[in-house]
Amino acid sequence: MTRFWRWLLAVLIGAWLPIVFVAWWWNASAESTNPFFPPLSVIWEQFKVNWIFELVPVHVVPSIRNLLIGFLIAVVIAIPAGTLIGASRSGTRYVEPIVDFIRSIPPVALVPIFILLLGLDAQMRITSIAFSASFPILLATIEGVRSTNLVVLDTAQSFRLSPSAILWRVRLPGAMPTVFSGLQVGFQIAFVVTIASEVLGSGFGLGAFTLIATDSFLIVDAWTGVVLLGILGYLLNIVFDLVERLSLRWYYGQKKLS
Amino acid sequence: MTIPAISIRDVTMDYPTPDGVNHVLDHVSYDVAEGHFVSIVGPSGVGKTTLLRLLTGLASPTGGEIHVRGERLTSSPEGLAVVLQDYTRSLMPWLTVAKNISLPLRRAKMSRSAVQERVQESLAEVGLTGTERSYPWQLSGGMQQRVSIARAIAVRPSILVMDEPFASVDAQTRFDLEDLVLKVRDDFGITTVMVTHDIDEAVYLSDEIVVLHGKPAAVRDVVKVEIPFPRSQMATRNDHRFAELRTRVYGMVRGLE
Repeated sequence: MTRFWRWLLAVLIGAWLPIVFVAWWWNASAESTNPFFPPLSVIWEQFKVNWIFELVPVHVVPSIRNLLIGFLIAVVIAIPAGTLIGASRSGTRYVEPIVDFIRSIPPVALVPIFILLLGLDAQMRITSIAFSASFPILLATIEGVRSTNLVVLDTAQSFRLSPSAILWRVRLPGAMPTVFSGLQVGFQIAFVVTIASEVLGSGFGLGAFTLIATDSFLIVDAWTGVVLLGILGYLLNIVFDLVERLSLRWYYGQKKLS
Repeated sequence: MTIPAISIRDVTMDYPTPDGVNHVLDHVSYDVAEGHFVSIVGPSGVGKTTLLRLLTGLASPTGGEIHVRGERLTSSPEGLAVVLQDYTRSLMPWLTVAKNISLPLRRAKMSRSAVQERVQESLAEVGLTGTERSYPWQLSGGMQQRVSIARAIAVRPSILVMDEPFASVDAQTRFDLEDLVLKVRDDFGITTVMVTHDIDEAVYLSDEIVVLHGKPAAVRDVVKVEIPFPRSQMATRNDHRFAELRTRVYGMVRGLE
């Protein structure tokens, strides 16, 4: 359990700058009469009205649901696909240029195309999220599996493990630290695309809420949406970090000792 | 005539390189007798590890044949276990000690309790009972190499092949591991082939020492070590035959004799 407390302490140490920033914002905006930059105190009052917890089921739950489903689909497709491609020499050579090309397109720019192809429902949003998030995961998995240590491979082979056991029980687990770096990037992209996919044609979700509020000159409401997005992004990152630490305990333990 | 544990017949190994073909082994022939402890020595870079990779089926010779217990080698053979020098990489860092040892048993289709039992036996054999749930990297170098030996004997091999198994541990640990290997070989009657650059170690452990020499390398000589077992670090290393043999083998490795 001490490891958990140490981790919590690290989070708190990392939180001092945001705290200073909020304090500064609070003071600097206190006397503001600019309608576009309302005082933080006003934003906070409206934040409580909107998000504790009146509008959470309408606008937060669908966004988070889309995000998680989309991200999970990306994981479930990209990790096995990346493992198979990474293990095959020619596979990597054929697939990588295509993957690199698609990945270079800003994911948000693909959302309109998905709308054209799939319409304006949750399915389209989840597909865009899954599609955009899968590329960093795919590339990281390919790289991780491809660079399996040769001694590890020799050992596994000398034990006469079947090719599939070598792939899923030796190469993939060994690649997990690299895979996780792809998961991290993929998750951030998934978050961005979740919000971006709601900006068009949706009445629900945090992206939709913020955009509609802005268009309707409900500036304070728009600000509460932005603040909530920031908080959510931050919290999701913490959760992600925790999952990574738990899954890669062997990796961090080993790193600490060497 | 009894079938040798490993029979190496006219084995030649060439690697293509950008600067032309690299001839590593040239018509190497040697038989490892059942139950023997054989060391392969030679100057560094002579092709010892290449020969060992061929014996384990991890690579195929460009010429000649290798038979393991009468069967021609095409891939890693059954009943042969390997211990490599680089234990930090050959043990999977994401698996606990117990799971590392049971990994090769996946092929054997053993019941869960039988696997557990085998893991316990193997750990007891190398003196590491109680470390099941540790990760390899939490153990010292010597203990990690004990884990790889435990993993190797967990499959109950008839042949154990080791590549410089004690090269990365300190001298005291090295002596302990040498005696451990002798004990394991005694307890299970395993035929053992070891590549080493340490001539003292080769003399101490072996029934026979194969000296590789030349470029491409061939068997320069085969030296029988006629010091009776059981051997001990104190008595055997003080034996006059030990001193004579190490001097002789040293001369051969250096190409002085």
